[in-house]
Amino acid sequence: MTAHVSNATNKLQELALNRFGLWLFLVSDVSFFVALLSSRFFVYGGATPEEINQYLGLGLTILLLLSSLTAYRAEVGAERNNRTMMNRNLLLTILMGTLFIVGVGFEWKIALSHEVTWPSKPYGTILFTLTGVHATHVVTGLIAFTVVFFKKRKADIGEGNSWAVEGAVKWWHLVDLAWVFIYPTLYLVNS
Amino acid sequence: MSTQSIGQLLRVGWVVIIALFILTIIEFVAAIGLSGILQLAVLSILAVIKGTLIVQYFMHVGQIRKSITDLWWGILVPSEVEE
Repeated sequence: MTAHVSNATNKLQELALNRFGLWLFLVSDVSFFVALLSSRFFVYGGATPEEINQYLGLGLTILLLLSSLTAYRAEVGAERNNRTMMNRNLLLTILMGTLFIVGVGFEWKIALSHEVTWPSKPYGTILFTLTGVHATHVVTGLIAFTVVFFKKRKADIGEGNSWAVEGAVKWWHLVDLAWVFIYPTLYLVNS
Repeated sequence: MSTQSIGQLLRVGWVVIIALFILTIIEFVAAIGLSGILQLAVLSILAVIKGTLIVQYFMHVGQIRKSITDLWWGILVPSEVEE
């Protein structure tokens, strides 16, 4: 005898459940970033040290935004059964995400060379915590993209078979969304 | 996403990314040219606009409504039993 087969097991229901579950998780993760971002103003006020490299911050932002476009194109490719577009854009996203991590490492190196941005100082605490938590999200996104790339590069794609790509891409956009708020909070605000 | 052609979807992607780049440059310039509460207000508004573009066009937030509708139907319609 086969067990009960609920409607939630059909593809449409499963996709709806996956999307709903992921969105719930993303919203809870956003609350974590909101708490960290607000802590910057309580700990250090509205000032930003001159030692912060503005051009590096701008470069990291442009790189991450660009990776969001390639992630979006990978999702379009997966949903529209265009394997070349999906694979190429997944690889480009992985490449740009990796460059972003290298850039954050460089940012940390610069921060450690100035006393005001040491991890033990108020601004340094904020800088290392925010960029560290965000970089962890980037790394998990890169792992997800790598797994998805190897899982889907030859497997069935197209409508109804693209959840793996869609889920990873949504996660990546959350990483991008968080940075859209981290960038002005850490680099630009100076009041 | 499903009703648009692939060309339209890719065009949406380019339009959104160009808008995000322009807003980022405005942010950068505003941070240099403005100060105090005005700077904070302008940077906050720009960040919210950028975030909205990402959530709306890249994350397809509109899918949530359809997902919830589909889930409700799954709950309301009785489950099938297979033997």
